[in-house]
Amino acid sequence: MADNDPNRVWPSGLTTREAEELHDGLKQGTRIFGAIAVIAHILAFMNTPWLH
Amino acid sequence: MNRLSKKLVSTWAEQGPRFLPFADVATADLPLSRLLRLSLFQVSVGMASVLLVGTLNRVMIVELRVPASLVAVMISLPLLAAPFRAMIGFKSDTHSSALGWRRVPYIWKGTMLQFGGLAIMPFALLVVSEGGNRLGGPIWIGWLGAGLAFLLTGAGLHTVQTVGLALATDLVSEESQPRVVGLMYVMLLVGMIASAIIFGALLQNFTDGRLIQVVQGSAVMTIALNILAIWKQEARDPVKTREGREEPSFKESWDSFIEGAGAIRRLIAVGIGTMAFSMQDVLLEPYGGQVLGLSVASTTRLTATLSLGGLLGFLLASRVLGRGGDPFRMSSFGALVGIPAFSIVILAAPLQAPVLFFCGTFLIGFGAGLLSHGTLTATMNHAPEKQRGLALGAWGAVQASAAGLAVALGGIIRDIVNGMSARDVFGRSFSGPATGYSLVYSVEIVLLIITLWSMIPLIRRLPQRVTA
Repeated sequence: MADNDPNRVWPSGLTTREAEELHDGLKQGTRIFGAIAVIAHILAFMNTPWLH
Repeated sequence: MNRLSKKLVSTWAEQGPRFLPFADVATADLPLSRLLRLSLFQVSVGMASVLLVGTLNRVMIVELRVPASLVAVMISLPLLAAPFRAMIGFKSDTHSSALGWRRVPYIWKGTMLQFGGLAIMPFALLVVSEGGNRLGGPIWIGWLGAGLAFLLTGAGLHTVQTVGLALATDLVSEESQPRVVGLMYVMLLVGMIASAIIFGALLQNFTDGRLIQVVQGSAVMTIALNILAIWKQEARDPVKTREGREEPSFKESWDSFIEGAGAIRRLIAVGIGTMAFSMQDVLLEPYGGQVLGLSVASTTRLTATLSLGGLLGFLLASRVLGRGGDPFRMSSFGALVGIPAFSIVILAAPLQAPVLFFCGTFLIGFGAGLLSHGTLTATMNHAPEKQRGLALGAWGAVQASAAGLAVALGGIIRDIVNGMSARDVFGRSFSGPATGYSLVYSVEIVLLIITLWSMIPLIRRLPQRVTA
């Protein structure tokens, strides 16, 4: 990882492709956590239906 | 890519490396503090397994009045994920990444699955409990939710453990591996014991709200412990993980792995050895209560005795193997300790000697500690550099599946034999409740003998002393 690599952005030293991969991980996590939250809310509503 | 994504990508790129979870360099030898931090993933695995097999098992049957057969199905669901550990390990070995990571993405995915399972679990359990479906909606949603919760948690913990152990193997030199194995086992035990005590205390006054707090609290702890464990641990190596490189398929990789000297025999030894030390898992406490008349408090001390034996086993094995001892000699010694241990436990019934029973239990823990430490150290030592994930995945798949199968078999044999002995099938002298238990312990002795026999060719020959 040479410091003079023009593809890298400092101070992180990441390339665009690397930052994209990091961001992909974040997107995937958001989707998984979102899906989990939806399922948890459906089950919680079945157990204690609010606004009823 | 939309504008928000572009903005976020540039934000990641502009962050200082201090805030990014990469290790700067792969150090030749890992300081103990970093190793201790890495081993925290084992605490989260221990916590989740105690919650599934111990705490929730009881809560579902006693407090939530879920039918016992359905509870058994739920608890066995995580085991379905166990055979896939080899595949998970292989995937992490051959992962393509611009960042140069192989292990962290899988540990993170495993953590999310474990978190997800634990996050929906309390609500699912409450819906399927007696009177828990207050909305009156279709109950299959509750069953599906509960099944999904157990499956996700199981898949998560198997992924985290497999890839976590592979990362630990990557990070340390071969000489340090026994120390790491010892530490990993001790932390698993610490996680299990501490969680069992904390869950027990928190759920003493059971309410629905408390169940939600405890299970979701453990979900948050999973995330916290695992992030702490993997933060700045794996060094980046973009050359090893560059996209578009040629990698073998799982079949090719597996074929070359089992062609390695003694690979199949090692897995057989792990499987039978684990079965031999697992069949009594859920039988020791009822044996103490039913056959020896011990109180609930005494049977709880039994768990502590077993754990203490295991702990001493791990410590001794770490010490001996750290000085260059042979892991399979250590495992054989563990199996050898197990044979008198189970014999003592069997003898405790006719002699009505709880002290003997406690001694036997301690020795079972000690023997199991030596055997598991030895087999895991051997797996790490023999893992080819490019197949560490696969090797540890295969070890984990065999070990977890064998343990699950053994626990189920132990219970089934005990029930069938005790049913038959109650009908005097074996004659008057074998009509007590001890018969079923004794038969299970005898089967374990036989399995230990088979384990010893299977390990003999794996033991390193000691150098012959040259006589003048």
